[in-house]
Amino acid sequence: MVARSLDSAFGLLALSWLMGCSADASPRDGSLLTHAAAPAGFPKGTAADRAPADNALSEDRARLGKRLFYDPQLSRTNEVSCSSCHRQEFAFSDPNPVSVGVEGRMGTRNAPSIVNAAWGKTFFWDGHARSLEEQAGQPLENPLEMDLSLAEAVTRVAADPSYADSFRRAYGEAPSEASLQKALASFVRSVVSGNSPYDRHLRGDDGDFGEPRKRGEALFLGEKAECFHCHPGGVLSNEGFFNNGTFTAGGDTGRERVTGRVGDIGKFKVPGLRNIAASAPYMHDGSVPTLEAVIEQYEAGGRGDPTTDPLIRPFTLTAQERADLLEFLHSFTDESLLEDPRFAPEPELAQ
Amino acid sequence: MKSGLSSVLCAGLLGVLGAASGCSSTPHDPHDHAGVAGADGLAGANSAGAGNLAGAGGSAGAAPSACPEHPTPQRTQGSLLSMPLHVILQNQPFVFGQPNTLSDGGSIVPLNFRFYISEVALQRKTGESVAVDVLTAAGTPAPYGVHFFDAEEADSGALRVLAPEGDYSGLSFALGIRLACNQLPPASTAPPLTTDSQMTWPHTGGFLFLRYEGRYEGADGGANARIPSMVHMGGNIGQELVPRVTVPGAFSLSSNLPREKAMRMNMDDLFAAATSNLDVSDVTLPPGAEVIAGERLRRSISGLSVFQLEPE
Repeated sequence: MVARSLDSAFGLLALSWLMGCSADASPRDGSLLTHAAAPAGFPKGTAADRAPADNALSEDRARLGKRLFYDPQLSRTNEVSCSSCHRQEFAFSDPNPVSVGVEGRMGTRNAPSIVNAAWGKTFFWDGHARSLEEQAGQPLENPLEMDLSLAEAVTRVAADPSYADSFRRAYGEAPSEASLQKALASFVRSVVSGNSPYDRHLRGDDGDFGEPRKRGEALFLGEKAECFHCHPGGVLSNEGFFNNGTFTAGGDTGRERVTGRVGDIGKFKVPGLRNIAASAPYMHDGSVPTLEAVIEQYEAGGRGDPTTDPLIRPFTLTAQERADLLEFLHSFTDESLLEDPRFAPEPELAQ
Repeated sequence: MKSGLSSVLCAGLLGVLGAASGCSSTPHDPHDHAGVAGADGLAGANSAGAGNLAGAGGSAGAAPSACPEHPTPQRTQGSLLSMPLHVILQNQPFVFGQPNTLSDGGSIVPLNFRFYISEVALQRKTGESVAVDVLTAAGTPAPYGVHFFDAEEADSGALRVLAPEGDYSGLSFALGIRLACNQLPPASTAPPLTTDSQMTWPHTGGFLFLRYEGRYEGADGGANARIPSMVHMGGNIGQELVPRVTVPGAFSLSSNLPREKAMRMNMDDLFAAATSNLDVSDVTLPPGAEVIAGERLRRSISGLSVFQLEPE
């Protein structure tokens, strides 16, 4: 009895922890960086604080990166840009199960959202990149995606005087492979989402966080649904790699490709869940079309492969509980991000 | 901002728990560290009466009142003692992420294994306990004075401390983090006390002390009652619950000369404790066999020889 009352008290305290970092929506002055404070419950510091010393985040760098992000010149056929697979209206993810690259080539994984990637530790579903700078150039060179060497990408942008000016302003030099990747990383780092009903809830404003969402949150953080093991409250990803039961024999082995460890077969990076309702389909292969189906898969304990993590255990929710959990997942949607003009393409910049 | 949050948190805890919270208005004395006091007074088991969450092995001594990210060093000169961890099961290396064949014909694949070590003290042969600073792989003081072992990170595989010269009979440490650190809010802390440690624990707040998950496959396809699939050892943030372990093994340190001394971690004992029949029903634990296994381990580990320094 004593322990129960203490647990309740601690639950309140844990919530006060998450409320500790506030990140109110900033004035829309057109700057990419005004909104870059940490979302509620995230580690301390801003997106700029997460940038490496040799690529400090600046407006010039983020703006240059944004222009590159939307530029199809960075694909061999001039038809695919980063934004082809990271679409703002889908929380910078891809509504296709797997990405479609140049000449209609099909990738093997679902393009993950880039939102709040500034706080990431590793990148790609298998975590093989350890910085945004390391990540940024790889889709360009992947033959299933943009199929363009970084050297050729640099040649193309260097031929455009306005690009050359932007590179000099941002990095003090002509375009290079390193600065091109750094610029892309800077834009990605600036894409911060921290104005969802969930963020506001963590800051103490429950105006759009009613009882169903609160019940859903309790399920999410409780031992019945057990979502918290991989998606801790606040940041909603522990940045780890887990086999969540989506892998089946013969499929993409994920993290094992990087480490060579048998135990990593079927492990993929735990995604953050900000804007998850806007970024269907789900899982590394985009094989689960809806959040309802995601819950169903977890209730079943995955797809039955013996490599599934022991924390993925079958459970049964009532219809009301499913509805509450869905409501909670929808509270992660930051509508302002999906239509924020600062992150949209700016044709005039390409002149 | 952090100190402000901590004050609020502690004020709340004091309101709810009083002295049991470990919060104190007394300024932290860098010399009043639990390393020395703990080594002398906390290694033994304390009683575990009904309703006493501390249980056997809990560090029930007075907790320091703060857990600074950059604790005041015990010393700036000394010898670097590096203790690479050798994780052993059935007298064989317990290899992370790979199948480890067992004597029963089964195999076990460790999938996730991580734990905290803090409050390290060396035991002189004369009996004196000497608190030492924990260092990172880069040789800098470890944030919060905490070493975080993460089987996925090779750099974390050795405990490093800066110690004075002398002849020692072993060491001791807290397997986990002390209360003042456990009460820190993960959104305002630096690694290793952040959510990406995978050690945060929403049930009660705070952090797990040790986390293990693995996949056992019996030769006959069945389970082995002595091999847990998961162990989550932790404690709530209202009491000092971190167990203290002793690590026997003689060694000497010469002035300012680095020294390496391997430390064995015996998983047989750890698994046996986690799968024992120890009655932990006197406290209300969060549901889950892994939590019960963790509590059984927490109460038992101070009396076991899970850690030993390898012989010369």
